[in-house]
Parts: sequence; structure tokens; C-alpha cells
Amino acid sequence: MNFGGLVAVSDLCFDIASDDLLGLIGPNGAGKTTVFNMITGIHHPTTGKVIFDGKGLVGMKANQIAKSGIARTFQNIRLFPSLTVFETVQVAFNKNVKYGFAGAVTRLGAFHNNEKSIHESIMEVLDFFSLSDAKDEIAVSLPYGLQRRVEIVRALATKPRLLLLDEPAAGMNPSEKVALMSLIKLVRERFNIAILLIEHDMKVVMGICKRLVVLDYGIKIAEGTPEEIQKHPKVIEAYLGEQV
Amino acid sequence: MKFYRSIIIFAAAVMLSFLAALFENRINPYYFQILIYIGINIILASSLNLINGFAGQFSLGHAGFMAIGAYTSAVVTSTLRISGDSIIDIAAFAVALLLGGFAASIFGLLVGIPSLRLKGDYLAITTLGFGEIIRVIVQNLDFLGGARGFTGIPKLANSFWVFSTVAAVIFLIANLVNSTYGKAFLAVRDDELAAEAVGISSTRIKVIAFVTGAFFAGMAGGLYAHFVTYINPAQFSFLKSFEIVVMVIIGGMGSIAGVIISAVLLTILPEALRTVAQYRMVIYSLLLIVIMITRPQGLFIRRRKTGNIVVPKARII
Repeated sequence: MNFGGLVAVSDLCFDIASDDLLGLIGPNGAGKTTVFNMITGIHHPTTGKVIFDGKGLVGMKANQIAKSGIARTFQNIRLFPSLTVFETVQVAFNKNVKYGFAGAVTRLGAFHNNEKSIHESIMEVLDFFSLSDAKDEIAVSLPYGLQRRVEIVRALATKPRLLLLDEPAAGMNPSEKVALMSLIKLVRERFNIAILLIEHDMKVVMGICKRLVVLDYGIKIAEGTPEEIQKHPKVIEAYLGEQV
Repeated sequence: MKFYRSIIIFAAAVMLSFLAALFENRINPYYFQILIYIGINIILASSLNLINGFAGQFSLGHAGFMAIGAYTSAVVTSTLRISGDSIIDIAAFAVALLLGGFAASIFGLLVGIPSLRLKGDYLAITTLGFGEIIRVIVQNLDFLGGARGFTGIPKLANSFWVFSTVAAVIFLIANLVNSTYGKAFLAVRDDELAAEAVGISSTRIKVIAFVTGAFFAGMAGGLYAHFVTYINPAQFSFLKSFEIVVMVIIGGMGSIAGVIISAVLLTILPEALRTVAQYRMVIYSLLLIVIMITRPQGLFIRRRKTGNIVVPKARII
């Protein structure tokens, strides 16, 4: 990925299986969020391919990629400042809207049944993630850990096959991190989706990831299980500097 | 049945406005005129609210859409020589109004397309430019009367037409905003990137907002033309666009009720101040300044912030 002179990511190749929990780690500035942005269509890779389910994603618009089944959260939580928790998740359910503009303004035809089933689905998912009590709170007024949870629930509402989590534990205290780890494990069990995780907190990374890919200065320097990576000399070098 | 409540309210409003039309001759013509202007301004402000308040696109050219609706419907009724006597004439007037709306919505599309790439101030200037372009084009078209104006428009707009349209516009906008589909507008306004990340096409939303807002503004223009019976380009200048923007801001961007109330207040206010003649605009402007200082978010804000934060369970398992 070449940003007019600055090459952010130059040598990266990895696969992720449909039940993987892959961690993308590396020092700050390694290009990890850029990788996310390339996958989700915010940046178009200047070279290389992104293949999802046999289909190339490069060149597609961000919202089309989201509709194909890739959802993400953001490094600095991006919720909708004026919407409640319920409405935030409701936005993501636009995928399920079948009535179109005419139905929305007139409320004739399929509108009522469609809205009813959407409301039920929203309550179901809010219940599952223990957010029903907060459903009418403005999402950004919630404690930070809960905002992150709402953001993840919003991403899941699009029924993705791949979930990208960008530093979900950033800014959390230890108990929030523990809750986050159980949340991610729960998501994997219940929703059967692949998860790609960027994270700096090694406890979180080592605790939940099945595999890791390590990026440094835009180049993949290692790939393997958490145990392998912990002992990998190149990784240690990247984080701590050369061994004396 | 709760679901049909809004349809019942809408139907009731239409019937009420029909009854009102039967009695409108009893009202003092001056007050009646203000009432009609209130209705037209409610439509204008609500339609702009859809673009500015709900979709978050800063548009300063709304009077341009009004102008297109006004002139288009005027041309239709003049060419068909509608005088309002027969049932056919009534249907024809409805068609003329709708055509005015459609013509305006086409321009809404044209204005909406640059909006896809422009944001904030740049979009505001562009829409302002569009509004002026429309006005100047009309001014230079002789068959529309040019700067001398378009005279002899049949006075077909009465309280039935105006207030049924008001009821329809509010009904449609309220339905839209309170649906899942409508939440996409608010999402695009709040955070376009996040909205795209959940599959919303911000492009489509913005275009829909402009086209729909322009359509209703065009209807308002048609009603206006057929009430004042004489229109000229100067009536649709940037000043008019600005008046409408002020109504939306004072009412609270994104609040349906707030914008209605503010449209009513800001239509009545200049008239009520006529008694202080030369100080009228000074007082009006001072009032706006005071309101902006004391309550910049407008009369009603869309965002409800509750007092205590309910903290749900922190752990799921």
C-alpha cells in the first residue's frame, strides 16, 4: 500500500479460515490498521489482492464490502453520537429492510411485518449481550467498555462472516479486558465467524488468538501459534530491539 | 390499531383542512394570508430539515427548488388555462403541483450529485451557487416573464391544498425518520465512515435526501405561486433560502416538531413586528442573535440525553 511515497504495507500475505481467530500484531506504526482499511475498502491497495470467498474485493466500495460479509470496529470507537443503543444496532439492520423508500414513507405493504421482525432481532441480540437495559441510552454516554461492546454488537448485526476488531482492548481497565475476552470467545462460539484482531495487549492476544501474524514496518516478519511467536527471534527484535 | 394511528391522523388533518377551506372567507384576509404563509413555510422548513437536519448535508439553495416548483406549476396551469371552476380543474391543479415537485426533484438530483464529494462549507457554497444559477436562468427566460415576472396565475391555492400538503409532508417525513430505513440518514449525518462500515450507501442516502427535500420544496413553490398569483425571480433569492435555513436552525436541526414551531413563529414574528415599522428587521435580527446565544441547539434537540446513566451488567458470563 503506497501512500504517494510512503509505503505503509509492502510485503504481507496471509489466509484466514472461516473459524479462525487470527491476531495481527506488531509495533506501533507497523501498518496494521492500514491492512484493515485495505480489506474494508477505505483504502484501495496500490498493489496486491484481497480475496474473500473466492471474490476479489479490491475496487469495491466500503459499503459493498460490508454487505459482502465483512464487519469491523474502529481503533477510536466510532459510534453515532445522537443515537441510542437500540438505534445504533438498528442502523446495522438496514440489511434486512425489504420495504424501500416508498414503504418507509407510506408504511404500507410489507413495512409493519418487516419492522416487527427487525425489532425482535434487535432485542434478541441486545439481550444476548446484556445491553437491553441500556437500549434507550445514548450510546456515547455509556462507560467506555460498554461503548466498545455496542460497537461490536453493531458490527455483528450485519451478520458478517469475518469480523475485524481494531484494538478492542485499547483504553480498557483490566476487568473490562477480561469481559472483552469472554465476549470475543462468546461471539466465536455463538456466531461461527472468523475474527481478525489487531491488539497490543499481549495478555489478550495470547489468551484468545489461535494464530498470529506479526507485522513490522509493513512487512510480515513471522506467522504462527502464540507459543511460536513468543519465542521467535525476529519478533523479539522488532519489539525490544536487537539482542545484545 | 396503533399502526394505523398515523394514517388516521393524516386523514383527519386532510378533512379538517377541507372544512377550513369552506369557511376561509369568514377570516380576516390579512390573518388568512399569514396562515397560508405559515403552511408554506412549514413545508419549506420541513423539507430543508430532511436535507440539513436529518441527512446532515448543508444546503443553502432551497429557494431554487421552490422557484422551479413555482414556475413549473404556473406554466402548467397557464397553458392548460385552468381557472378552478370544475372538478377537472381541481385534478389538474393537483397534477400541476406534482409536476412542480417532480421538476424540482430533478434539480435536487443535479444538486445532490456534487454533494457526494463535497462537505460542510464547500457544499454550502455550491448549493448557494445552484440556487443563484436557477434564479438567474429564470430571470433570463422571456417566456417565464424574466425579471418582470409571471403574472396572471390562477388563485387556486386555498387552505385545503396548503394544509393537506403540510399534513402529507409531515406524515411522510415522520414515517421515514422513525423507520429503520430512516435511521440510515441519521447515521450518515453522524458518522459517514461508520455508516458505510455497516453497509449503508451514504451516496444513496444523500441523493434521496436532496431529491425528496427538493420535491417538497417544489410543491411549496407551486402552492405559493397559486396563492400570490404573481411570481418573479427576486422572490427566490438567497435571502429566501436563508430565511428557511434560519427556521431549521432555530427549530433544531433534525427535530420535526421544533422546525414546525419555529416556522410558525418566524412567519408570525415579522408580521407582528410591523407595528414597530422601521425597527422591524432590527428587532427580528436581535431576537435571532439572542436565541442563538442562549440556545444554539435550537428549540428542540433530537438527541435525548438522560440524567442518570444506567449501567448494565459488566460481565456477560
